[in-house]
This record gives sequence, structure tokens and C-alpha cells, in this order.
Amino acid sequence: MSGWRKIAAVAALALGLGACATPTPEMKAANDPVEPFNRKMFRLNQKIDKYVVFPSIGGYLLLPEFPRNRIHDLLANLSLPITFANDVLQGEPKRAGQTFARFTVNTTIGLGGLFDPATAFHMPDHDEDFGLTLGVWGVPEGAYLVLPLLGPDPPRDIVGQAADIYLDPTHWLHYKQHIWWDLSRSYVALIDERAVSYPLLLGIERNSVDAYATRRSLYRQQRAHAILNGRPDLGNLPDF
Amino acid sequence: MRSLFAPIARRALLVAAIALSLPLLAAQQAAAATPAEAFVSANVERGLNILNNNSLPTEQKRVQFERFLLSLTDMHRIAMFTLGQYRRGAPEGDLEAFASAFQNYAVAVYQSYFARYAGQTLQVTGSTNVGPQDDVVKTILVDPHDKSGQQPLEVDFRVKSDTGRPQVVDFSVGGIWLGQEERDQFTAFLGQNNGDIHTLISHLGDLARQFKTAQQQPQH
Repeated sequence: MSGWRKIAAVAALALGLGACATPTPEMKAANDPVEPFNRKMFRLNQKIDKYVVFPSIGGYLLLPEFPRNRIHDLLANLSLPITFANDVLQGEPKRAGQTFARFTVNTTIGLGGLFDPATAFHMPDHDEDFGLTLGVWGVPEGAYLVLPLLGPDPPRDIVGQAADIYLDPTHWLHYKQHIWWDLSRSYVALIDERAVSYPLLLGIERNSVDAYATRRSLYRQQRAHAILNGRPDLGNLPDF
Repeated sequence: MRSLFAPIARRALLVAAIALSLPLLAAQQAAAATPAEAFVSANVERGLNILNNNSLPTEQKRVQFERFLLSLTDMHRIAMFTLGQYRRGAPEGDLEAFASAFQNYAVAVYQSYFARYAGQTLQVTGSTNVGPQDDVVKTILVDPHDKSGQQPLEVDFRVKSDTGRPQVVDFSVGGIWLGQEERDQFTAFLGQNNGDIHTLISHLGDLARQFKTAQQQPQH
């Protein structure tokens, strides 16, 4: 785990311990025993988005679409080895094959990942991470947790993110400026992601009765769906 | 890989935005194999006709689409579901007031996305029976102008027929069920407000008014 992630995790734990009042039945029912702390972190992250991330997005959006798409494609291609490793660990040979084919095509014909011809060749894209792999293996999500900077991050996904660092081939390339590569990649990935998601997030929050609960629900449903790897899960539908 | 900073994947956010606007999407009728599939297929065709009828004045189109939406969905049932545990023990008058406020809010939210997704299509691809008179109809969302090669989004409708006629009670886009999401936020809001349904009703009213005001402003 990189330095700043350790700091964020330790700070969150320290703040979380301070916020460990007895959970109400509502918090227990929502599997969110530290909800007051999580809501504080949610508001903090909203401020970080507003005052730090969003101004950066403005600069990024000044770039023409062509170089922005190259940055996005390159970042996506860099993450494919992690997706491939997790496909294998989940016992998904077909999806692993698709990921391998995408990586091969985009790294060669796509000039090192700067372009994405694989999508045009009908090689479908999908994301995987070790948090999802743990879910496939039956590990429960754990209590909901929101971390500063990182957002929703229940214990299963914290472990998953730490493991993904070691599944990333670039982690094993040793050179002096490694930390700067890590930080720059993370920052550019954040900006690239939020350039699309920030307006959507604002829209969702503006339309919500409770923006915090909305994000919690979306996060959980999205992760639960991703664990299914495209298989239907209609046995757990609620009673209307 | 999850972006280190990104709590929700980009696709999930797009999914969520689309989920809020789903009933406004146009649809293509496919060969329907079950009554539930036929219901979804035929009704989305109705929605298509309203959305694509350019001879209708905007306000008339809005009113017609509201009627369509209310005939397609069981709003009262959805409203009661979204209250979760707070429904139990609540006075009947409060529940009816909430159902009314919920309907007003839901229609306003869906209408706010009216223009954004018109022109996309839904194709029925099959259905699964999940209980007595309870089916999930599967469709895919197709943007005829999308050249990206991305896979179409999967959109599921939950159709219950135990009231004598089929009605949609929930739908999901890419695995996110909107009714469940609304229940999660309403119960969280009530948990923060001592379970006071009147506060929720008032808040829903404010949100609905905001949406209506935004819709009346000129589009850019």
C-alpha cells in the first residue's frame, strides 16, 4: 500500500474510533455501524471534489478530445493485467481470454494502449479487481465504510485494493521515481474518471432525498452485480 | 481495476443516471413470448409513440407521458415498498399522503430527463418467472447513434400481475434496482429524522417543485 493510502487509512481509523458511538438499530439494519463517521467523510469528500478535484477537471477538459481519449485508453490498457489476473483467480477462462485478447490487440495494434481497436473488433471490455474476486469466493463485504479521498471502501474492498497493487506488473518495475509514477497515474486516473462522473454525481446528488444513502446503495448494488459476472441473480429480489 | 480514488465505476454512474430516466426511453417491440414480455413490449411501444410524436405541444406531450407512466407502473405499491420498516405502524392517512407525494416526486424526476434519452430503444430479450404472477422481463438499451462498439446496457423490468393486471413495480439498469435504491435513501432519511414521514413528504414536495421549475426554464 502506498504511503498516502496508509495515511488515509490510519487517519480514517483514528477518526472512526472517535466516532464509534453505539450504533442504532437503523445503522445495524443498514450494515453501516459507523454511519455518523461515514457521513462526515462523505461530506469531506464532497468538499475535496468541489475545491480540489473539480478545478483539476476543468483544466483536463481544456485538452482536445483526441489526447484525452488517448490518456483514457492508455490508463484502461494499463489496468488490463490486473483484470486478467482476477479473471483467472475467479475461474473465468472466457473472460480471461477476452481480457488477454484486448490487451494483446491494444498493446500492439493500439500502439501500446494509446488506442482501443479491440472494442471496434467486438472484444468486450469489463473491469475486475481483487475485492470482486473475494466476493466471488464468498467473502462478505463487511460493514460499510467511507474513507477520506477514497470514498466507499468496505473492508473487503480495502483488502482488494491492497492486493491489486501487487497484481499490477508495473509495481514490480523498480526504479527511483516509482512513487511519482504511482501518484501521477492515480491522479490522472482520478481526473479522467471524474471528468465523466462528476456531473453525473452532482445530478444524482441533486435528485436525491439522501445523497449519502444513494451513493451507499449504488455502490453496494453495483459491486454485488459485478460479482455475478453477468449471471442473473433473481433469487434475492425483495418482496413488494 | 477500480480507480484508486473512484468509489463508483464510471459505468455504474452512467447506469444510475440512466436508471433515473428509464421510463422515458423509447422502445422497440420484439416478438413477445410471455404475457409479461408482451406487456413490457407493448407499453414501451406506447411510450415510443408519445416521445416521437413531434406534432404534440411540449406540455401536452408531458401530460400524456405522465398518464402513460402512471398506467404502466404501480406507484402506490412502489411507494409503500420504499418506506421499508417505517410503513409498519404508520397511520393510514400518513401513508396515503406519502403515496401522493411520492407519485408527484417520481413523475417530476422522470420528466426532468425527458429529452435527454428520447430516441434510444429498448429491445425485449426474454423473461424469468421469479414467483407467482411475478416476472422479470429482460431488455437491452440500444442507442442507434452509438458507434463505440460498447455492449448495450441490460435493463430489467419486474412485472407483477397479482392485482388483476400486469404492472411494473421496479426496474434495474445494469443490475441497479431503482426501487431498492429509493427505499435505501428514504429509510436512511427517515432514520435521520426520527422516522417522521411528514418531513419526508415535505422534502419530496420541495424536490418535485425544484424539478418542475427546472423543466420550465429554457433548455440550452
